[in-house]
Amino acid sequence: MTNHDTTTHEEHAHGHRVVSWQTQLAVLAILLFFTFTTVLFYNAESWVENAFDIHLPWWINVIGAMSIATVKALLVCMFFMGLRYDKALNTFALLFCLFCVGLFLGITMIDLETRDRIYTWKEGEVALGGTGKGLDTPSVDARFDSSPAPTFNTAGLGIVEFRRAQGLEEAGSELAFWTDHYHHHAEHQHAADINNFFTQLGYDHHLALPDANQAVPRIGLTAGLFSAVDPTETHNTHAADDAAHQPAAEDAGH
Amino acid sequence: MQTTLDADTTPAPAHIANHPTHWRNRPFAAHFRTRDDDFDASKFGMWLFLTTEVLLFAGIFCAYAVFRMMYPEAWSNGSHHLDWRFGAGNTVVLLVSSWTAASAVRCAQLNKQKWLKINLIITLICAALFLFIKFKFEYSVKLGDGKAPGTFFSYAFAESPYEILWWSLYYMGTGLHALHVVIGGCLLGWVLYRSWKYQAYGPTEYLMVENSALYWHIVDLIWIFLFPLLYLIH
Repeated sequence: MTNHDTTTHEEHAHGHRVVSWQTQLAVLAILLFFTFTTVLFYNAESWVENAFDIHLPWWINVIGAMSIATVKALLVCMFFMGLRYDKALNTFALLFCLFCVGLFLGITMIDLETRDRIYTWKEGEVALGGTGKGLDTPSVDARFDSSPAPTFNTAGLGIVEFRRAQGLEEAGSELAFWTDHYHHHAEHQHAADINNFFTQLGYDHHLALPDANQAVPRIGLTAGLFSAVDPTETHNTHAADDAAHQPAAEDAGH
Repeated sequence: MQTTLDADTTPAPAHIANHPTHWRNRPFAAHFRTRDDDFDASKFGMWLFLTTEVLLFAGIFCAYAVFRMMYPEAWSNGSHHLDWRFGAGNTVVLLVSSWTAASAVRCAQLNKQKWLKINLIITLICAALFLFIKFKFEYSVKLGDGKAPGTFFSYAFAESPYEILWWSLYYMGTGLHALHVVIGGCLLGWVLYRSWKYQAYGPTEYLMVENSALYWHIVDLIWIFLFPLLYLIH
C-alpha cells in the first residue's frame, strides 16, 4: 500500500490518483454550461434567421455546434475518464483511433467532392497522345494549347472500352483478337472474353485453380504457359488435350 | 488523520469481510508481477475496446456527413422534425450520470462503500430516464407519425424523398447508442450488485468500477456528438 498518509486533494488509492470531488463537480458545471451555450447558440441563430429573414451560411451552425461538442468531449476524456492523470499509453490509443477516424472521414470527403471530376475524363473524347493536362490543371506545355492533339469522339464509351472496340476492328475477328491476347496472357480468362475464347482456344487446361476442397500452390510460372497450343485447332481435340495435360498440371502443383 | 483505507468508518460485518469476493480478499491475476500491472493492463485493454467503439460510431458519423453533403435539404428538414429540448434534456441526464459514474470510481478508491452504491444508483436512474425520454417522447411519437426508417416509412408530409435516409440514420445512430446505454447500465448494475452483496470494490480492487465507468463515459461522449449533429445542425 502506498501513500497511507496523504490527506490533500492529491489523495491516492493504491498509487492511483484520486480526483477530488471539487474538480469533478467543477467539470460537471462546465459541461452543463457548454450544453446551455450550444443550445443558446442554436436558438440565437434560429432567431436571427427568422427575425431578420436572412439565411446564415451553413458553416456558422456546424462550426459552432461541433467546436463546443469537441470541448465537452475533451473535458469528459481528460477528467471523467481520467486521461489527464493516466498512463500516456491510453491517451495514445485514443489519439491514434481519432487519427484513423480522421483518415476515414477525410478520404471519404475527398472522394465525394472530386468524384464528378473524373466522369468527363473517363468518357467522351480521347486525345491522341493525351491532352497534356491534369484533371484540373493547365497544360504543362503551351504547345498543347496552340496546336491541340487530334481528338476522337468515343461516342460516350470509356477509353478502355473504346480501345477494345478498335482492337477488335483491327484484328478483323473476335477469334483473331483473343488468339493474339491469349498468346501473351494465357494465365486466366479475360473479364471481357464473354464468348469464352479462353476455353475454345484450349488454354483452360492451364488452370488449376484452388477451390474450397483443393489447395493448389502456384509457385513460379503458370504450368503449361510455354507449351505449344495451336489455336487454329478446333474444339474436337479439346477433350484429348485436356487429358494429356492433366498430369503436367498436377506436377506443377507439387 | 483520515487515510485511504479507513475512509469508510463503518467496518463490514464479518460474513462480508471474510467473503472471498470482498475487495480485501481479492487476489490479482497470477501472471502479473504486481497488482498495478494487472490494473494497468486491464484498463489499457478496455481503452483498446473503446477505440473500436469509436470506430463503430465513426461509420454512422461518416454516413451522416456523406448524406448531408448529398441531400442537404433532406437533412435540414429532418433535423427540424426533432425537438432540441428532448435532446438537451437527455444531454443533461447523461452528463449528470457521467459525473456520478466518475464519483463512483472515486468512492471505490476511497472505500466509501455507501456513496459508491448511491452514485451507482443515481447513474442507473439516469440511464433509465434517458431511455424513457428517448422511447416515450421521441421514438413512439415519431413512429406514430410514420417517421420510421427504411421501408417502414409512411410519413405523408415529407418534403424530400431522401428524408427516409435521414430517419434511417436517426434510428440507426440513436438506436445503436441506446443499445450502448442498456449495455452500460447492465455493467454498472452488475457492479452495484456485487458492491451491495460482497463490498467487492475498494482501494485495491476497483478495476470493474473503473472499466464500467469508462464504458459509460464513452456512451456519454458519443451522445455529446450525436446531440448537435442530429438536433442542432440544420
